Amino acid sequence: MNPRRLRAIVRRVVAEIRRDRPSLALLFIAPVVVTGLLTFILREAETPAVTAVLVTSPDAPAPIAAALHISLTSGGITVVDAPDEVSARADVRVNSGWVAILLPPNLAGGTITIVTNGLNPQAEGAQIGAVQKVLVSAAVAAAGARAPTITHETVYGAPSTDPMVPFAPAIVAFFLYFFVYLLTGISFLRERTGGTLERLMATPVTRSEVVTGYAIGFGLFATVQVAVVLTWALGTLHVPALGPLPAFAIGLGIPVVGSPVIAFLVVVLLGLGAVSLGIFLSTFARTELQVIQFIPVVLVPQFLLSGVLFPVDTLPSMLRPLVAVMPLGYAVDALRQVFIGGADLAAGALQADIYVLALVAVLFAWIASLTIRREVV
Amino acid sequence: MDAAIRAVALVKRFGEVAAVNGMTFDLAPGRIYGLLGPNGSGKTTLIRLLTGMTKATSGTAEVLGVAMPSRPNLARIGYMTQGDGIYPALTAGENATFFAAAYGIEDKARVREALALVDLADRDKTIAATLSGGQRRRLSLACALVHKPQVLFLDEPTVGVDPLLRVQFWGHFRALADAGTTIVVSSHVMDEADRCDELLFMRAGKVIARGTSAQLRDEAGTKDLEAAFLHFAGEGTVAA
Repeated sequence: MNPRRLRAIVRRVVAEIRRDRPSLALLFIAPVVVTGLLTFILREAETPAVTAVLVTSPDAPAPIAAALHISLTSGGITVVDAPDEVSARADVRVNSGWVAILLPPNLAGGTITIVTNGLNPQAEGAQIGAVQKVLVSAAVAAAGARAPTITHETVYGAPSTDPMVPFAPAIVAFFLYFFVYLLTGISFLRERTGGTLERLMATPVTRSEVVTGYAIGFGLFATVQVAVVLTWALGTLHVPALGPLPAFAIGLGIPVVGSPVIAFLVVVLLGLGAVSLGIFLSTFARTELQVIQFIPVVLVPQFLLSGVLFPVDTLPSMLRPLVAVMPLGYAVDALRQVFIGGADLAAGALQADIYVLALVAVLFAWIASLTIRREVV
Repeated sequence: MDAAIRAVALVKRFGEVAAVNGMTFDLAPGRIYGLLGPNGSGKTTLIRLLTGMTKATSGTAEVLGVAMPSRPNLARIGYMTQGDGIYPALTAGENATFFAAAYGIEDKARVREALALVDLADRDKTIAATLSGGQRRRLSLACALVHKPQVLFLDEPTVGVDPLLRVQFWGHFRALADAGTTIVVSSHVMDEADRCDELLFMRAGKVIARGTSAQLRDEAGTKDLEAAFLHFAGEGTVAA
């Protein structure tokens, strides 16, 4: 190794990065912001407020119910009374943070059933734990008997021990969003820097035709990608033993209650939004490296704040308003409803998510088309 | 005959800088005009104003009697950018077909004709990225010609082109002009200027002189165009 030549190479590398201001800024600012955000989310994580729905049916042992009411309230849990089991279940169905407690007629040795919404298993873990703790001690104190058995039911889906269930919808949505953004951002950057966009704008082609064309073109690949990912994630193909080869299965076999077709629709809408985002952000990038550098700025916060890893209910309250502006959050919510809740298109909450995703796709397409004018002028 | 291109008191400012600073001229149809001037003299901005790629700060730019920017009018205008402006992953044929479609032309014969005109007929199926530099420039020209424009803007079309190809290019340009196309070529290569029917010397966003190559040299009393340019630019004469 020749030290002079080596020094020349090192100098050139340093000079080049030093002059790439956006890269330089992101090199230092992005890790600080991302690690800061992550630390804030973990340290300031809030225990979600728990609301217990207590059935005060005539069958229920009244003194125990009353004692339980006091214990739950003193344990920081809001208690709501419901006249019967049906109405308690209805309350939990519409309020995702609520836990219904169904007491048996005879508490001693009986089974207490707790019912949760089920759409967000991660967040519910903490809520169930809080209720269970109070429940066991109160029941033992009140009945003086051995601890009752507690079973868990969910309004949507069934309680699952599969650790992938809460994550699967979020992971499918996030990775599609990520790859479609990257693919479109880099392709469109090439269109801008390669002079083809300028040339295209000197033809009668309109900006909206360019953006729509991109959306459909990349949308086709996104559609195939979604189909492949969903088939892989949801399917299980059992391959029987063949000669010396043992039997094995292909696919992650994640259980899905709802229609994979609706899940597909949701993810495609998210993908179209990602196409427009890629076109929009390519305006601010001069190199492919810079397109990649937008990931910590644009995609990582969405990853942290859309309920992919951390349930939205446990986020620091300061950050929670931001969740409303994360397109990914709507897709994750919609997919959880379909995967776990089995929601169909008639479900109001799912419709709301789909409308927001469609609106985001159209809005970003419009903004993206404006950036094309900016480029050409 | 009506002018093919007309500029009236045309101004384009970028902040404090006037890239085009009050240009008025008429260009007749079927002729080759050369825009000559140093880098930063406003050649590219003028072409962008005339192709409607950017809006004038004041004044008007008309092409074929239509004020620019006008999207429908772009179907009658061809534009070859400074860069190649072609899709490297597509074949030569696919590139030309794509730009033809952008101009609303679906006729395959027209694509073949454009490729043949720049001697790329046999490269139809070749991926553009694997073409030589000169072939890519030719493909770029074919993409600008595929819709048979009445007015053709060529922004430094022969930069990085070898002398032999340059001769071929000028052969194409002359043939197009003879067929009635008005051609505007920007260049800072003075020896190319002799091939133009008429020259516009540009400097600091203004047309400082206009005429045929011979007229400009006579007027400046110099033998070569470079010296004539310096004469008009007010930078003294250079011994020719």
